[in-house]
Amino acid sequence: MPRTTSGTRRLFRWIGNGLLLVMLVWTLVPFYWMIATSLKADREIYGFEATLVPHHPTLAAYVRLFQQTPFLKYVRNSTIIAVSTTAVSLVFGCLGAYALARLRFRGRRLIARGLVFTYLVPPSLLFIPLFAMMSALSLADTHQGLILAYLGFTVPFCTWLLMGYFRSVPLELEEAALVDGCTRLGALIRVVLPMSLPALAVVAFFSFTQAWNEFLYANVFVNSVEVRTITTGLTMFIIEDVFFWGPMMGAAFLSALPPLVVYLIFQRWVVKGLTLGAVKG
Amino acid sequence: MTSGVDPALLYPDERAVATPVLRARRRLSLTRRHEARLAYALLLPVLLVILGLVAYPFVSAVYLSLQNKPVGARGHFVGLANYVELFRDEVFFQTVRNTIVYTTVGVSLKFVLGLTMALILDQKRRFNNVFRMLLFIPWAVPVVIAALNWRWIFDDLSGFLNNFLITVGLTRDIISWLADPRLAMGCVIAVVVWQGTPFYTMTFLAGLQAIPHELYEAAEIDGASVVRQFVHITVPRLRTIFLTTVMLSTIWTATNLQFVLILTRGGPANRTEIFPHLAYVTALGARRLGMGAAVSLAFFPLLVILIILLTRRMLSQTDD
Repeated sequence: MPRTTSGTRRLFRWIGNGLLLVMLVWTLVPFYWMIATSLKADREIYGFEATLVPHHPTLAAYVRLFQQTPFLKYVRNSTIIAVSTTAVSLVFGCLGAYALARLRFRGRRLIARGLVFTYLVPPSLLFIPLFAMMSALSLADTHQGLILAYLGFTVPFCTWLLMGYFRSVPLELEEAALVDGCTRLGALIRVVLPMSLPALAVVAFFSFTQAWNEFLYANVFVNSVEVRTITTGLTMFIIEDVFFWGPMMGAAFLSALPPLVVYLIFQRWVVKGLTLGAVKG
Repeated sequence: MTSGVDPALLYPDERAVATPVLRARRRLSLTRRHEARLAYALLLPVLLVILGLVAYPFVSAVYLSLQNKPVGARGHFVGLANYVELFRDEVFFQTVRNTIVYTTVGVSLKFVLGLTMALILDQKRRFNNVFRMLLFIPWAVPVVIAALNWRWIFDDLSGFLNNFLITVGLTRDIISWLADPRLAMGCVIAVVVWQGTPFYTMTFLAGLQAIPHELYEAAEIDGASVVRQFVHITVPRLRTIFLTTVMLSTIWTATNLQFVLILTRGGPANRTEIFPHLAYVTALGARRLGMGAAVSLAFFPLLVILIILLTRRMLSQTDD
């Protein structure tokens, strides 16, 4: 029996290698095509002379992107919005999570439940009333309006995740600080936060990428170039000019980089955060 | 904040340290009311966000759906007229069918592929870390970029797919991937699966790696085959992760309109029209905010069951 098992194991190993190769091709070919397109001249992109591999690689598409489109403006807007959203969600999240993790008061469970529930209500249900709200408050088409809208999904997520983490910080250390005359807020800042750096990193990663990648709100609430973010800016390239795939794939590649880089840095911790900490491993 | 170092703390004698700790504990319990007040103060921003940016919009969506409000003007109360109109519309029922097909096929394929990849990455192999990182890339890239990238791949004349198939000699005709009513939905689902599989792989792999090796070794000694080990050890151990992942992903898949918006805009002939996109088109294309709200709310009962179940799971898993 053991021999057949190791035989099947070897078989499964080879099937595994084969499938892995197939999956790698399926996963990576689109990225190849994105980068290849951005390195071609129009002649190689369209029509009968279209090529699978750039024969005469050129950076012309990138030059056009930077000189003739508001791409850099979009990058600036996305950065402002993603960074502000992250900063605000971290502060709100830390304060709220500390209260939920450490203090006793009525309605604690209800609020915890509300957090998960809020996080799960999808933006495609909320964008219509939010749009009406933003217009009424004249926040439509502003950075502030978009940041505010993003807080609706980043804050519940951050608070929930940090709450779970704060609970795992040993109570004794905090008590020692309180004995030492520290206030509650002091204990949070001096004891709990320094011990929660990995959780803070994950939460920052998620807020940043979610805000950077968001499309629906940005598309609905924003009209002007001065506020428009990368994700919606990219789709403008098709509508305004049909023959624009070179610079567009260049832009797509460049704007996929920031979330990709943060992901590579934080990948070890990402899984737990993804499922609101429900997957332990 | 700190009022100098308490001399008692400098002595290693336990009794000297224990007294202030006890005193502090007593002080803490005496200040229960202050504690509650502080808690509400700390939670105020979070509560404002929940109430102002989720609860209030949700309630006002219900209210909007009972009005004939156009964009940028006042609406009038029309009762259930929007819903009546919706339920008489053939497109609405087509959208219901499409959304169900799109979500179930998409989620099932992601599940099967994700589990397969997780099992493969769990095998011992050189450079597994690199493979894992590469396979996760689609998930880290913004959805809009993935969708645009694929739209360009599917392009009739200059896209990668047709060029490749013609070069290899598999076809001589140009295939209109996204405009052909028989192919469009399949293509959209393929992109959804391409982008969403890594999430499944990630969570399943985390679950697999948490299973103690001794279980498999014991089964091996008992002569259990690889398949039996999978059915009797792996599947039961991953059940919780399966459920959570599928529920989360169902909500996200069913409510994401970016793929459809960028790839097909619901066409051809409404073949790929799904709920979130229909709501979007109604509210912003036809500029009927009230009707748009009715469309997204008509879809909500199905979602809310999932959301409530999932909320309960999340809470029970963190409270233990």
